[in-house]
Amino acid sequence: MSQFAEQFPIVFNALNVGFLQTFRLFIFTLVGSIPLGLLMSFGSMSKFKPLRVLIKVLVWIVRGSPLMIQLLIIFYFPGLVFGVQLWGGGESGRFLAACVAFIINYACYFSEIFRGGIVSVPKGQQEAGIVLGMSKSQIFFKVTLLQMIKRIIPPLSNEIITLVKDTSLSRIIALQEIIWAGQSFMKGSHGISGVIWPLFFTAVYYLAFNGVLTVLFSKLEKKLDYFKV
Amino acid sequence: MKKVIAVICAFALVACMFAGCGAKKTETSDLEYVKEKGTLVVGITEFEPMDYKQAGSDEWVGFDADMARAFAKSLGVDVKFVLIDWDNKALELSDKKIDCAWNGMTLTDEVKSSMDCTKAYCNNGQVVIVNKDVADKYNTVEACKDLKFAVEAGSAGEKAAKENGFNITSVSDQASALLEVKSGTCDAAVIDRLMAAAMVGEGTNYANLTYTVNLCDEEYGIGFRKGSNLVEKANEFLAASAADGTMEKIAEQYGVQASIIK
Repeated sequence: MSQFAEQFPIVFNALNVGFLQTFRLFIFTLVGSIPLGLLMSFGSMSKFKPLRVLIKVLVWIVRGSPLMIQLLIIFYFPGLVFGVQLWGGGESGRFLAACVAFIINYACYFSEIFRGGIVSVPKGQQEAGIVLGMSKSQIFFKVTLLQMIKRIIPPLSNEIITLVKDTSLSRIIALQEIIWAGQSFMKGSHGISGVIWPLFFTAVYYLAFNGVLTVLFSKLEKKLDYFKV
Repeated sequence: MKKVIAVICAFALVACMFAGCGAKKTETSDLEYVKEKGTLVVGITEFEPMDYKQAGSDEWVGFDADMARAFAKSLGVDVKFVLIDWDNKALELSDKKIDCAWNGMTLTDEVKSSMDCTKAYCNNGQVVIVNKDVADKYNTVEACKDLKFAVEAGSAGEKAAKENGFNITSVSDQASALLEVKSGTCDAAVIDRLMAAAMVGEGTNYANLTYTVNLCDEEYGIGFRKGSNLVEKANEFLAASAADGTMEKIAEQYGVQASIIK
């Protein structure tokens, strides 16, 4: 027990550093993929067929292949095939590559959720907007958007909670997120080796973080409740 | 419309091919490349006593870390240690994410075929790890055949275990193999002798484990990109530091002086 008390502060510090990396990846991905996903959802509903096909193919590829492979391809492919160093080999380069991979991957999932949300708003409301002489962008921002947001909150929260846990995949390109930090104590790190509880303990971070997100989402849902149709 | 897409795709493909050709023409030698960058990027994993951080410190120390630092100094560049996934070391090298893999790397045929290596600088072996209370029973290769082994996938230990006809399970790294023994999911493990000396026995987290049979002897080397002229430089550096005693001095600091090759 005394050994545990000795180890705990060291492990706690290392896990916090790892979690910070996880958290940064989460935030960057969210900030990048939501606007990109929205743009892609417009693309997938466009009247211009090549764009529509292009987006559908992209979504098929990205959703249809493992994120782990996408991370490996995005990180190693440019250097191996084109000899171009898009990302440095250091931690910041790995982080950047992970961000790009996650943003593309999550934008594809989000775009389908957004498309579903937009399509679910009755067409009659848009027609009403046209009759009232509103422009296309006015109709989208003032009529469709808020109703769509309310409808997509449950599937979106699902996806976002999955994202929190998916960040752990970035360890494949040696990004030192929290699972990496926890696992390093098995191999030996900070003078501690052969202990497995830090790895199990990382689950506490995920649980706590997802708990906060769940509360936030249910609050948001309640806030949008006045919006009954 | 389909034709338009086909044409666009064709153009994109051709553009990619040209991009590939263009990049290959502008190659400089590896030494010039590293000097121009001003840093030697060393790919490592946490591996006591070769590369590790002491509690409360943020600096990489260890026999390999200190030697790599000295090597970079001899080239007149800075050193940067990058933690990598050891399974991807050849990929990290050819992709120029790292400039060398220097982390107690056993010179196996696979390693030698996927990168250019220096001459050996350190002796190592593969040893059998078992629980202390049964160590007396399993001190021959024959006796060990009854045990269930955990070994690192693709490691020299896995090869040695296979050659001896052991019943093995492959795990992701040597530490996991130790953990399998500690937790009782496997009876024994095969790991590096140097690592065993540092990580197993009295005063470690694996106090109940010990090592018995030495399965084979092997050597550590440093890996560089294929065709790199840094190999030559590193060999010169190793020879020079062995001659003037700096290698021995660093080795003594980490208790590996008995294993170094001068």
